[in-house]
Amino acid sequence: MVGPTASLSNLSRADGSASFKCPTTGYKILGSVNAPVELPGRRDALKPEEATVEVFIKPGNTTAGVGERYVEGIIRTMLQKLILGRERGFPRRGVVITLAIVGGGAIARGDSYLTLLPSLLHTSLLALLSGAVPMSMTYSTALVAVSKSNVIISNPTLVEAKAASSLHVLAFSSKGHLLLNESQGRFDFDTWKTVQQCAHALCRGVDLPEVDGDIAMEAQGDSGTAEGFVRETVENHLYRDYAWKIDTE
Amino acid sequence: MSKEAPLSIAEREFILEALRQDSRLDGRTPDQFRPLKISFGDEYGHVNLELGNTSIIVRISAEVTKPRDERPFDGLFNINLELSAMGSPAWENGRPNDVESSVTHVLDSVIRHSNALDTESLCILKGVSCWSIRADVHVVAYDGNLTDAACIAVMTGLQHFRRPDAVVRDGQVVVYGVEERVPVALNITHKPLSVTFFAFNESKNIIVDATLKEEQASEGELVIGINNGGEMCFMNKFSGATINAREIVTRTSVALEKVKDLNAQIDRAMQADLALRAKRGMAEESRAENDR
Amino acid sequence: MVTSAAAPAPSSRPALSLPPSQFARLQPHAYLLAHLSPPSTNNQPSIRANGRAPTQFRVTSANAGSLTHTNGSAVVRIGDTAAVCGVRAELLHTEDIASWSVSQATSSNKSPRSVDQTEELGEQDDNETIERERAHIEDLNLLVPNLSLSTGCAPGFIPGSAPSSLAQSLSHQILSLLHSTRLVRADDLRIWYQPPSMGPEELERHNEEEQMDVDTAQNDPVEESPREIKAFWVLYIDIMIISLAGNAFDAAWAAVLAALRDTKLPKAWWDVDNETVVCSDSISDARKLSLRGLPVASSFAVFEADAAAGWRAVVIPEAAEMKAQRLARKGGVSERWLLADPDGYEEGLTQERACVVVDKDTDGKVIILEMEKNGGWTIDTEDLQQLVDLSSQRWEDMKRILDEC
Repeated sequence: MVGPTASLSNLSRADGSASFKCPTTGYKILGSVNAPVELPGRRDALKPEEATVEVFIKPGNTTAGVGERYVEGIIRTMLQKLILGRERGFPRRGVVITLAIVGGGAIARGDSYLTLLPSLLHTSLLALLSGAVPMSMTYSTALVAVSKSNVIISNPTLVEAKAASSLHVLAFSSKGHLLLNESQGRFDFDTWKTVQQCAHALCRGVDLPEVDGDIAMEAQGDSGTAEGFVRETVENHLYRDYAWKIDTE
Repeated sequence: MSKEAPLSIAEREFILEALRQDSRLDGRTPDQFRPLKISFGDEYGHVNLELGNTSIIVRISAEVTKPRDERPFDGLFNINLELSAMGSPAWENGRPNDVESSVTHVLDSVIRHSNALDTESLCILKGVSCWSIRADVHVVAYDGNLTDAACIAVMTGLQHFRRPDAVVRDGQVVVYGVEERVPVALNITHKPLSVTFFAFNESKNIIVDATLKEEQASEGELVIGINNGGEMCFMNKFSGATINAREIVTRTSVALEKVKDLNAQIDRAMQADLALRAKRGMAEESRAENDR
Repeated sequence: MVTSAAAPAPSSRPALSLPPSQFARLQPHAYLLAHLSPPSTNNQPSIRANGRAPTQFRVTSANAGSLTHTNGSAVVRIGDTAAVCGVRAELLHTEDIASWSVSQATSSNKSPRSVDQTEELGEQDDNETIERERAHIEDLNLLVPNLSLSTGCAPGFIPGSAPSSLAQSLSHQILSLLHSTRLVRADDLRIWYQPPSMGPEELERHNEEEQMDVDTAQNDPVEESPREIKAFWVLYIDIMIISLAGNAFDAAWAAVLAALRDTKLPKAWWDVDNETVVCSDSISDARKLSLRGLPVASSFAVFEADAAAGWRAVVIPEAAEMKAQRLARKGGVSERWLLADPDGYEEGLTQERACVVVDKDTDGKVIILEMEKNGGWTIDTEDLQQLVDLSSQRWEDMKRILDEC
């Protein structure tokens, strides 16, 4: 299977930016982060003790509607808790995340946003990392569908997602917490538990019995999991950025 | 931030003094554009354009709608430009600003109102259904001369885009998918582009394709929309200091020369991409045959 | 979240004698925490500042058919949150739909028109009927919910402002839930026309065929001219939150559900001579919508004891570690509470939310239709299980309330 592709810091004006392409759904997202910035237009909404997180989604070939507002809300609530908005320089300022859908189909009014959500979340994370915004932990997300015949499909295509009886997006923190769950469709709790395990495996690999912290990390293997992908992308970028230094050493 | 950080006095003086001595910060001549890079996405009508550090993505899309009652033979065409914080931290999301409205105005005048895209060719069934073409302009990074860059990107997108084929069969419109019938190119009547001039030092120095810093230091702006045949379709002396009328005439010929050059660059990029697509299509076909 | 370091003690009087209402304003977090974790010496159960037990919902009442000029309406009150919903049905002629006469040549014939005679009835939901339902209700936008938070429903909602992002996302949530639960049957919204190509006796039988059992359709393949859809009912579902005291979604969704259950559509048919749709004005001809199931939404919030966690750069424990800690502390003081149906005061103090929409089939088996959890990291699988159980209890209550109204 072809994995997703991503690159960091590809925009010149934004503080942090990333592009992310999901091969199964075909979505390509370009994300930018400006932080910390003054938000004079939002003076009434600014908080004296912490940063205001703003998320803005720009659809590729339609005008933004109520669906975008809803997804913005989901991403904002999730990130607000992870971004350390009380660090120096952040209170009374804004963390502005802009996500543009630059590839893939359009989502019509009232359609499910779940197929797009993992790509949006991964792009936001990479952009935040590229913009060096302090966060308490990172995360990884997965899209899982359950077909009519109760077969669990990980990373479904758009056609599979449309035909599925239920659709789930889960996000796990780098420390194993369940950060986000969005499930739609008809299912029961046991199905969800299987979905949760499947998503966990996709995001963080299969949990091995912890012998020793380091060995367990090693054995899990970063490659193939969503978390490993984020890590690899950032590492590759750092190697490129610090090539001058690494070479001299 | 709701304003670009202003130029310092030293920077402004430096730019002006350099122009007095006929040189620019990046070593270009007054009538020289920054290097133009055009690439295409997977879909038809997806253009990534870079003009120096200004970067724009344009996506063209088509859907079948009902034509307007008063113009049953015409299709619809809209250019949509919304500036977001991605392009510049000075732009706030969801709040229109001056740049947005002025660029939209130029795009509409140069491309839409000059009928560069023949809207009558978009009609499928009189008064019942027609194509609605939509161009979405995403400004990804802003470093001056947004107007010209957006014009080039939208025109490239329109020339590159292929809409699905549609025929009318006993009152029923049938739309063919890309796999079934070769999609159709849009009917472009002419290829107008805009060229924006900036004036400095009491209009003694007039340059094209200004960077953001040069824009901030300028005193006046002149936009000329012209096509390959030398037909003017738009002219605007937006604001700022006066420009000699004779100067405008000479600038028009500069603009014509620039537009010819830019259109040639667009053509080259298009041909290269279409050749690549044809090659890929052939490869896929032969693979399909092998499978059989 | 207000967490100033010390409560401003009145300097004149040394005795700290703040009335509870002031304490609640000055130190909201400590106030709620004090309620939830009573001193272990007295054997009081933990109780919320509003007097409810942590998993208790507010008193809910519903009243259907309150508005006269709608096809269906309802008012739902959950505590101090009140939502009014009105459903108005309007006709949409197929010739006004741009995509109606367009068909996609690719693969399955996807024209919206391609729905013909064999119409589903009852529970035989095969893939094809689902796809057709979806095509009509979703692609043609036959359900149009719009939620507005009216001026003054809570402090901070000033007149003349654009719809807030909360109102917009609630509208989307309701629309997407209407779509994903397939609550409204597309067949209820279609207006058919049978061209009179058949004899009179067949015409009579045609009436039965409205009820349409697939069997008869299969048994005699009559060469009749195909029935065609001439128009649709579009349901405009307008929800107004007239008082907002937390948990707007539950109230709004309950109002939508009650209003749709109340909705009656007039009998409508295609008049060939006038080329238009005619509606009967007698009430006895009107029929109710037949909804699929009864999805009930329940929302929860998580209140965390350690309010400082937000501003101190704390080291957040690994998930496994956290679980172990919690197990060790079981029976003792818990560090976070799941609060059902949070009111406005509690919503201001919590960040982590969960929302579960459940339905029960005829055997009483719980089906989850939507499960959301966001804004924190304390809810894990076991908690979600508990929330689903609570929601299914809530389903029983809501069913009773909605059946009575």
